Amino acid sequence: MLRLPTLPLPTVARDLSGRAFGQLMLAAVVLGFLTLALAAGTAVWAVSQNQRYARQVNHTYEAAKAISELRTLTENAETARRSILLTGQQRFIDVYAEVSGQIPAQLAKIARTTADNPRQAEAVERLGRLNRLQVSLFEDALALVRAGRRETAAKEFGFNSSPEVMTAHRRVTGAMMAEEGRRLALRGHERDRTGRLVYQAFAAAGLVLLLVGSGSIWVIRRHTQDLATSRDRLAALNEGLEGAVRDRTADLTRANDEIQRFAYIVSHDLRSPLVNVMGFTSELETAAGALKTLVDRAEVNAPHILTAEAREAVDSDLPEAIGFIRTSTQKMDRLINAILRLSREGRRVLAPEPLDMAAVMESVAASLKHRSDHAGVEIVIERPMPSLNNDRVAIEQVFSNLVENAVKYAKPGKSGRVVVRGREDFGRVIFEVQDDGRGIDSKDHERIFELFRRSGAQDQPGEGIGLAHVRALVYRLGGVITCESALDRGALFRVSLPPYVIADPGGSP
Amino acid sequence: MTTQQPVTIVMIEDDEGHARLIEKNIRRAGISNTIRHFTDGASGLDFVLNAGDGPAAGGPALMLLDLNLPDMNGVEILARIKAEPRLKRMPIVVLTTTDDKVEVERCYDLGCNVYITKPVEYESFAQAIRQLGLFLSVIQVPTADAGGAR
Repeated sequence: MLRLPTLPLPTVARDLSGRAFGQLMLAAVVLGFLTLALAAGTAVWAVSQNQRYARQVNHTYEAAKAISELRTLTENAETARRSILLTGQQRFIDVYAEVSGQIPAQLAKIARTTADNPRQAEAVERLGRLNRLQVSLFEDALALVRAGRRETAAKEFGFNSSPEVMTAHRRVTGAMMAEEGRRLALRGHERDRTGRLVYQAFAAAGLVLLLVGSGSIWVIRRHTQDLATSRDRLAALNEGLEGAVRDRTADLTRANDEIQRFAYIVSHDLRSPLVNVMGFTSELETAAGALKTLVDRAEVNAPHILTAEAREAVDSDLPEAIGFIRTSTQKMDRLINAILRLSREGRRVLAPEPLDMAAVMESVAASLKHRSDHAGVEIVIERPMPSLNNDRVAIEQVFSNLVENAVKYAKPGKSGRVVVRGREDFGRVIFEVQDDGRGIDSKDHERIFELFRRSGAQDQPGEGIGLAHVRALVYRLGGVITCESALDRGALFRVSLPPYVIADPGGSP
Repeated sequence: MTTQQPVTIVMIEDDEGHARLIEKNIRRAGISNTIRHFTDGASGLDFVLNAGDGPAAGGPALMLLDLNLPDMNGVEILARIKAEPRLKRMPIVVLTTTDDKVEVERCYDLGCNVYITKPVEYESFAQAIRQLGLFLSVIQVPTADAGGAR
C-alpha cells in the first residue's frame, strides 16, 4: 500500500485568515461609506444654512431700508409742516398730505419685516404712537392756516412744531437701525461658526477616509502578501510531494520487479528438484515392479524365503508411498506453474487500446457458453457499457475469471443468472459481475483474493489462483476490486478502473 | 553413427539427478556414445575449448546444455561456443526447465540447434529424452576440424 508522506500542511495566511480579512474589508467599506454620507449630509445642511442666512441678512437689510425710508418720510413731513407754517401756501399743504399719507403704509411695512423681533415690534408701535401724536398736534395748526390765521398758527404751534416728538422719533428709529445692525452682526457671526463647523466636519471626514483608505490598503497588501507566501509554500510542497510520489513509485516499481524476478527464479529453481523427485519416483516404481515380480516368483518357487514384511512392502507400502509422492509432487507442480503464470503475467507489457466493453463481455460469455449451458446459468450483459482504454488481454482475463467463478459457484441443481453491468462514476469506470449463486461468507471476503486460498465447500476443482490473479491484474491496471456477498445470497464483484491506463514498461525479463 | 570417430556427448547439467535421468533415458534409446558430464559451466567450457580429447582437438561432439547453472548462465556458454570458429558447428541442444519465450528466442538467435523444455511429468520427460536419443542416433555431426559440413 502506497502511503503519502505526511508533510506539514501550509497554513494559509495564518495571521490574517480569509474570514477575518473579509470582515475587516466589509467594515472598512461600511465605515468609508458612512463617513462619506456624513460629509454629504453636512454639506447639504451647510448649504441650506447658508441659504437661510442669506435670506435673513436680506431681510435685515430690507428692514433697515424700510426704517431709513420712514425716517426720510418723517423728516419730509416735518419740513412740509414748517413750510406750511412759514408760507401757508397750499403747495406745501399738498406735499404734507401726500407724505404723511405714506407714513402708515411704511410703518406697516416695517412691522411686517420686523415681525420676528418683539423688540422691533414694540418700537414700531411707539413710532405709530409718535406719528399719530404728531399728526393730531398739527391738525389744529393746519385748521388755523386754512382759516387764514397762519401767524396765530405759527405762534401757537411754533416753528419747531414738535421737537420732543421728532427727537423721540429719531431715537427710536436710531435704536431700530442699531438693532438691525446688531442682528446682522449676530447672523454673520453665526454663519462664520457654521462655516467653521462644516470645515471641521469635512476635515474629520477626510481624516477618517484617509485612515480607512490607508488601513484598507495596508490590510489588502498584507493579505496579498500572505496569499503569495502561501501560494509559494504550496507550490514548493506540491513539488516536494510530486518528488516524493515519484520516489515512492520508483521504489514500488523496483520492489515489484524484485518480487516478480524472485517468483520467477523460485518457481524455476523449485521445478528442477521436482523433475528429480518425479523422475526417480518413476524409477522407484519400475524397481518396485521388478521386486514384485521377484516376490511373486519366490512365493511360487521358494515360499520359505518370503517374509510377511517383504510381501506387504511390495504389495502395499511401496505403491502407497509412491502414490503419495506422485500426487503431492503433481500438486506442487501445479502450484509452481500458477506462480510462474502470475509472475509472467506481471511481466507482460500492457498494450492499452480502446475497448468496446460490450463486445469484450460478449466474447467472455461466449467462451464460457459451454460451461454456463451445462450449469444452467444464464449470462446477461446489460447495455450500454462504458468504453475503456485498456489492455485487452488483461481485461479479458479479469472478467473471464469473474464470470467463470459466477458460473462455477452457482447453486447446484438450480438455474442461475449472472448479470454483468458497467457505469461511469466520478471519473472511474465501474463494472459489476453479480450472480445469485451460493455466495461467500463475509469473513472470507479478503481471503478469497489471496493466493492458494479458497472459501466454502471444496466441491469444485481449482487451486485458489483465479481471484488472486484477478486482483493482481486489477491493481496493475490502477484499479480496485471489492466483493459484496453473503452465504446463499449470491455474490457481487465490483471492479473500479481508471478510464484509461498509461502504458508501463512492464517488468524486466 | 556413420562417422569414423564416435561422437562425444558433452552434457553440462548442474543437477546430478537430472543428469542421471537424462543419461538413463538416452541409454534406453540405444545410444552408447561416451557422455562427458560437467556440473558447472566453467569446467564444461574448459573441456570443450581446451581438452586434448575433446572437440577442441577435432573430435566430433554434441552438447546438451542446461541454462540454469550455478556459476554462469548457459546462454553465455552458448554464445562463447558459437563465437569460436572451431566449435561453432557443434550441435547444441539446450535442455532446460525454462520455457520463457524470450529465453527460447534468445537461444535460437545465438545459434542453438534444438531447444527442449524438460517436462516435469516424468513420463513425458523420459519419452522426450528417449526421442532425443533416437534423434541423436541419426543426425550428422560435423567434425570440429574446420572442414566440410556433414
